[in-house]
Amino acid sequence: MRIKTIAISAIALVALAVPATAGAVTLIGSGSVAAQPVLQALFSTYTKKVNHKVHFVYTANGGNAGVKDVQNGTSQFAGQARTPLPSDAGTTYIKFYLDGLCIDVNPKNKLGNISIQQTHDIYRGLLTNWSQVPGSGLDTTIDPVGRDTNGGTYNFFLQAVLGNELPSSNVNALTADGLVVNAVKQDPNAIGYDGLAWQGKGQKALKVNGVKCTPSKISVDPLKYPLSRYIFLVLPGDGSSSPPALGKFIDWARRSPLAGEAISKAGGVPAFNKKAKKH
Amino acid sequence: MEEEYLPEYGPKWSDQRAGRMLGALVCAVVGLLLAMIVTVFVHAWPSFSHNGLAWFGAGGSVEEQLNQIYLSGLSGAEYVYTFHAWQLIWSTLLIAGGAVTIALFSALFVSVFIVEFAPEWMRNVLQPVVRFLASVPSVIYGLLGVLVIVPFIGNHLVTESQKSSVAGVISLSGYSLLAAVLILTVMIAPLMVSIFSDGLRSVRPGWLEGSLALGVNRWRTTWKIAVRTARPAIVAGTVLAVARAIGEAVMLAMVSGSVAFAPNPADGLIFIYEPSRPLAPTIVKNIDSLGSPPANATLFAIAAVLLFSAAFFSLTGWVARRAMRKYGATA
Repeated sequence: MRIKTIAISAIALVALAVPATAGAVTLIGSGSVAAQPVLQALFSTYTKKVNHKVHFVYTANGGNAGVKDVQNGTSQFAGQARTPLPSDAGTTYIKFYLDGLCIDVNPKNKLGNISIQQTHDIYRGLLTNWSQVPGSGLDTTIDPVGRDTNGGTYNFFLQAVLGNELPSSNVNALTADGLVVNAVKQDPNAIGYDGLAWQGKGQKALKVNGVKCTPSKISVDPLKYPLSRYIFLVLPGDGSSSPPALGKFIDWARRSPLAGEAISKAGGVPAFNKKAKKH
Repeated sequence: MEEEYLPEYGPKWSDQRAGRMLGALVCAVVGLLLAMIVTVFVHAWPSFSHNGLAWFGAGGSVEEQLNQIYLSGLSGAEYVYTFHAWQLIWSTLLIAGGAVTIALFSALFVSVFIVEFAPEWMRNVLQPVVRFLASVPSVIYGLLGVLVIVPFIGNHLVTESQKSSVAGVISLSGYSLLAAVLILTVMIAPLMVSIFSDGLRSVRPGWLEGSLALGVNRWRTTWKIAVRTARPAIVAGTVLAVARAIGEAVMLAMVSGSVAFAPNPADGLIFIYEPSRPLAPTIVKNIDSLGSPPANATLFAIAAVLLFSAAFFSLTGWVARRAMRKYGATA
């Protein structure tokens, strides 16, 4: 009697569960912390509005770790904020959307524009006082803050600004982009760098070489803003072995206007998406 | 016909089950510990064997060395292992030593107060509060440090002339020895207080009553009898605190300043405002370079030093407690 009840309820459970899971796919990814806000926005838009059966799990463990995960098969894709390195052998990089690295100062700083050369000199310890940077209206010691060696933001800054030289020892290397934002907010003498997605109240983005760090400047003419970059999606092999659901998602995210909206809302800049029709 | 009952030799299996299974569990734990130690040292060996004792010495910039090590593992050329960790070791000694020293004295007085002098109602409030404080996760202290202590030091304590005197070498922006020691003290002191007060409470009442009956005042009785008898507990608490202070990574990575720099007491007052980076946060901050084999060996070498010092301190604590057993109290 009891066994029968259990058996029947088990069958009922299975019967109930089957239609719900039929065709459901969970795609597993990891990687860039900088890309996380945009990727999460794309994932939830896709699951809600395009295909209910596709779900995503994304672990923001840093771009380099993400690529490692793809290489050894623990992730089906990785978010990555830097261009390929020789150590990324056996993976395919797909341009996904654009992102800009902004140079930020505290709002008390009157500086409006900074050149790549000045930024380089500050982070190499050659310029140490705001009086050496015309237009700042300050005569105090500069407190440069940056990221530690984990993650794409540091690598991008290293390549684009410092020419792969290490930052000077007076640069405070913090463990997360959010901590950089926090440090710039709280210290009137600070200067820091972080992605477009982090721009908000409490810190002031500078023009770099005269070009504003805003999404419109970056998308009109890709890479005209000196610190703009592509965010990549990394796939194993040549990308052909990836599940079809992932391919469909990537096509959608790169092309559709809906995805474009999600990207800009989350702080990225759509690179290839068609513009939504204006009503 | 009735069978004769013959007792078996030894207890039945069912009686031994619990004992044997727990024994197997203990063996598994010990095996796991040994496996961990062996793994760490095997991974760390290339770094130690290339540097010898110079690993612990000073020389060059740790940052440059870590970068060279990391890049050599990616390029496929011959691996570079040169690494001199003195700046990290010195920072660990300063921060952990400073915090443990301050925490030892304050925790001793606080626990004496709680056990011997506080009125009943206050004791009932203080004890759970201390127990709770001892179990607060370190990342919460780290957040408090980053949001409150560090900006306060950077904006209000450090002066512009102090900052400009070291401009270009280090930034005195609040991420400092002072912040690290202060927060680490707050983190480990409750742990010490709760162990110290357990020790003080286990002192035999007869000894204290005897001393009081001889006319010795309360403070002297406490200091000469209770604290002395509770010394094994004080040693045990201090050893635990030292282990926690040396191994602390997340909180220190957030507030200590993250620059491999050896703060110099000869610099005068700004010494306490100078940033530095202890051993444990160095692993956290370079975790992305694990993919490069020589960098992997170097980070494991740091881990091996931390593991060895933890073992060393618990052994020292054990020896000290044994020597004090004659005083009667247990830790």
